[in-house]
Parts: sequence; structure tokens; C-alpha cells
Amino acid sequence: MLLFSYLLMSGVTTGALYALVALGLVVVNKATGVINFAQGEFFMFAGFVAWTLHVQFGMNYPLSFLLAVVVGFVLGALTDRIAFRPIDKNDIVSLVLATVGISFMLKGLARVIWGGKADYLSFPPITSPDPIMVGPIMVIPQQLAVLAGTLIIMLVFAAFFRLTRAGKMMQATADNARAARLVGIRTDHIYTLAFGTGAAIAGAAAVLTAPLTLLYPDIGFTFFLKGFAAAVLGGLTSLPGAVLGGLIVGVVESLAGGYIHSSVMELSPFIVIMIVLVFKPTGLLSFHKARRV
Amino acid sequence: MFGRRNVMLALLALAAIAPPFANGYQIFVGNLVLIYILLSIGLNVLVGYAGQLAFANAAMFGIGAYTTGLLQVHFGWPFWAAFPCGGLLAAAVGTALSLPALRMSGLYLALSTLAFAQATQWVFLHWDAVTFGAGGFKTPHLSFDPIPISKPLGLYYLSLILAVLLYIFARHMVASRVGRAFVAVRDGEVAAESLGIDLLRYKALAFGISGLYAGIAGGLYSALLNFVAPEGYDLFQMIIQKSTIVVGGMGSVAGSVLGAAAIILLLELLREFKGVQEIVFGALLVGFVLFMRGGLVSVLQRYVRGWDEPLHAVKPRAEPAPLPNPEPQTSPVEK
Repeated sequence: MLLFSYLLMSGVTTGALYALVALGLVVVNKATGVINFAQGEFFMFAGFVAWTLHVQFGMNYPLSFLLAVVVGFVLGALTDRIAFRPIDKNDIVSLVLATVGISFMLKGLARVIWGGKADYLSFPPITSPDPIMVGPIMVIPQQLAVLAGTLIIMLVFAAFFRLTRAGKMMQATADNARAARLVGIRTDHIYTLAFGTGAAIAGAAAVLTAPLTLLYPDIGFTFFLKGFAAAVLGGLTSLPGAVLGGLIVGVVESLAGGYIHSSVMELSPFIVIMIVLVFKPTGLLSFHKARRV
Repeated sequence: MFGRRNVMLALLALAAIAPPFANGYQIFVGNLVLIYILLSIGLNVLVGYAGQLAFANAAMFGIGAYTTGLLQVHFGWPFWAAFPCGGLLAAAVGTALSLPALRMSGLYLALSTLAFAQATQWVFLHWDAVTFGAGGFKTPHLSFDPIPISKPLGLYYLSLILAVLLYIFARHMVASRVGRAFVAVRDGEVAAESLGIDLLRYKALAFGISGLYAGIAGGLYSALLNFVAPEGYDLFQMIIQKSTIVVGGMGSVAGSVLGAAAIILLLELLREFKGVQEIVFGALLVGFVLFMRGGLVSVLQRYVRGWDEPLHAVKPRAEPAPLPNPEPQTSPVEK
């Protein structure tokens, strides 16, 4: 029971982080129809920026969090300008290769800047690292902090979509870009905003994750694949679906890691992606019309 | 005079005559270029001609290398028996990978093959009993016994012969019915099907051919390094191979040769600086996609006679639909 509750708890925590990465992917995919292959590298890069600010410059955690999110947004917006806006939207090969190129540039940049210090950088915990017992369940305070942070980000995000003018414009563009353009929405700006928002969410996820794991330049790809598995499980255009998908991937992976073998965890995204894309390409939360994938 | 045929023949003559006068390192780099020419041609058939954006080529390369190496180590097979098996197994796995490709296209195919490549890495890393895990293993020394030739030179000439044969094979294939079918599938699946092209067969064929080329290259690579380890077949390997076709020119077999040579020379110049390599190759991908969509070969096609490949030219960039874009009356989203 203790093992199970521990695995469940850590599964929900990592699942919440996958959900954030998936959310970023879905925001971009909904608005623009492409998958941003550099999403994982935004995550990694923002995490390193937060590490530099927090550990090297001694800035406090909330401030470095905010700055990392801003850096994420800027990286995302730049990616839109460099690797999305100038490219013919029907040319999928070019669209994919351009964001793949961006992802490798960021990875190399991180290796050049931070790689020399140590292969793995550790981020100091923001709460006490000792586990506490809530009834029969063992909880690590850092996990609670991550869950709370994730929940807040999701709420802010939902409010942004429902309540603000920019959020509504994004929804309109996602629904029908041509119609949105006809009523005077500058869809190009919306695309920039979508890329930026997606990257900002990834940045926030990175700063939440950093105290739980170590940072290294290759971390981005793992999170990207798992985030994509989560997004695909939720149907790729559904925001609640992305959250649910993230939680499922996190919990299943944690249980498989605990009861079968820890190395199985790395295989989970492959299995999920293959099964969902081959057998149920519309994802879990969309039951209507078949979509061409 | 400087047409494709003459240039390629001159390069071949150089490649055939130079090695006895070159030092060991130069032969090694030359051999590496030949191996990447094989990889690049195979990938170009799949991505450039058949339009299937797959990311599993590095995994096929690894399967070829591992099969060739492991059959020698575990069963004591000679290289000459293990090497063809590596190529065939990679071709078989490649063909099997075309099954998901039938149901997916574009982004989804890219991601599922990426996940497949990651799963292959996982097998290389964790199936310790067979693959020796993360540390990799040494392959037996290759000898060309009855023929009196040293191992580096022998392997070089073996690679050269295979590269020339497979180059000629690819040139003829893409100019045949099969090549035209690939291009038709790339430019429009529905249209291709309505012309009587069996999508299943041609997609499987494209994946199988690229797997075969990658598997053969993998076998040669394992013999060249005398060593096989998982990190040789990872994502970075994938980006190198993708760069060779993007830089050389997608949808051009000759472009693959130019791209592979250019990329390997660049890689050797930047050896020891992994971070810089990643930045440079990432920037090359973005730069060529943005500014030179057809790769190096498109420049040659524009300015030098005798390089055109009319049927298989890269799809011209579609003009963006002339949508009216009036200045919006309302305030834009961001100031």
C-alpha cells in the first residue's frame, strides 16, 4: 500500500508536468496545425535559465520562475518568426525540419553554455525534502508544490482563453482561420502568440520540475515525446484531453516502473503513441468524426 | 563539360585512385563519406522521392550495425555472412514500419517513427544479454584473406563498390515506373491511388529500400569502427542524416552524394565539439529549409548545364494564396 500510494503520487506529479508540456503542444497545434518539435527544448532551456538566475545569481524562486517563463515566451515567438511564418504551410516536410533544426540549435547552445560545468545540474529544492505522512499516504512536499503550481497554471490558462480578448481571438483562429481573418483578427499575430504561450507553459513546467529532477541538455527530448504521447492520447486539439492524457501517461509509467522494471518507463511514450495513432487516432476525448492523420 | 555524369565520373576516379597515396585518417574519412552516401541515398528515396517524413533511419542504421556485429560475436559467423543479414534485417524492419505509415502521414508519421527510433535505442541499451548494453561491444577484426589488401583499404574499396552499385541502382530506380510512383505518392496520395498506384506496395517498397541502404551502411560502419554502441545510432545521428539530404537536395540522388560529402567533412572539422556540432547542424537545417529549399543541387541545376532532373525536381514552392489582408480596424493583439 505504501509503495502503491508512493508510486501513484509520483505518477500524478510527473503526469501533471507531462500535462503542461502537452498543453503547450496542443495550444500550438490548435492554432497553427503543426507540432512544434522544439517544445521540449524550450522546456530544457527555460529550466537552465531559471537555474542560472536562482543558483548562480541568487535570485529568489518566484522571480526566477517569472523570468524563465518570459524567456520561454520569447523563444517561442522567435521560433514562430524563424521557423513557421516564412514557410509554406502546405510543406509539412519543411515545417517539421525547421522546428527540428531550432530544437538542435537550442540543445547545442545549452551544451555550450552550461554543459561545461557538469553533465547534470541539480536545482535546490524549494521545500523541505523530507517526506510527510498524510494518513497512510507518503507525500513529498515538493510534489505538492508542483501539483499546486500546475493547477494554478492551468487555471490561469483557462481564464486567459475564456476571459481575455487575446484568448478569444486565439480560439476564433483555431476554429476557422479564414473567418477569423475576415472579421479583422491578425492571424499572424495569433500564431506568434500561440507559439509564445506554448513555450511559456513549457518554461513554467521546467521550473516546477527542476527541483524534482536534474537538468541536462538532453532532458527536453524525453519530455517532448512524453508530452506528445499525452497530447495524442487526448486527441491533440483538446486542452482537457491533454491534461487527462498527461496524468494517464504519468501514472501508468510510474506504476510500470515500480512493479515491472524502472527501465520500462522510457518505453511508455512509444507504446502509447503507437497504440493510439494506429488504433484510435482521434484520442480519448473526441468521439465524433474521424480525422485524417 | 561539368554536367552531372562527368563530375560524378571524375569524383569516382578520384575516389578509386587516391587511397594508396592517402594516410590512414584520410582513408577513414573517405570511407565515412561513402557510408553516409549510402545512408543519404536511402533516406532520400524515402523522404525526397516518396515523401514519407520518417525519422527512423538512424535506427535502421543501428539495426544493420548491431546485426552484423552480434552475429559475428555470438554465433561466430564470418563478416561475409553476417553483413548481408544486417542489411536484410534492416530492410525487413523498415518494411514493417511502413504499416503505420499507411494510416498516418506528415506530422504523425514523423512522430511515431521518432518514437520507434527511441524504442530501438531502448532495446540497444537495455537488452544487456544480447546487445551488451550502454557500453557497446567490439566486433572481430575483419580480414580480406585471399586478397592481399590491408583492412582499411579493403573496407574502403568494398564501400566504394557498394556505393557505386547502389548509386546506379537508385538512379535507375527513380527514373523507372517505381520512381514515378514514389513521386506521385509524394505529390498527392489520392491522385496517385486513382491512377492505380497501390499505396501499400509503394510505401512498403520505399521504407524497405531505405532500410536496406541504411542496414548495409550500418554493417560497413560497424566494421569501420570495430565497435558498436547505442550512442552511435541516436537522435544526433538522425539529424546528421537529415542534414545530408537537406543540404544536398531532396529528391536528387546526385544531391545525396554532394550532401553526404559536405556534411561529413564539416563533421570532421567540428569533431570534439558536440554542442557546436548541434548548433551548426540545426542552423544548417533551418537555413537550407528557409533559403535554399532544393539544396546544393538546385544551385547546380540553375547555373550549370547537365544537372537537371526534370521529373523529380523538388516540388516548387506553392505561391501563398492571395488572401486579402486589410489593416484591421480593431486593435491588434499585441502592441
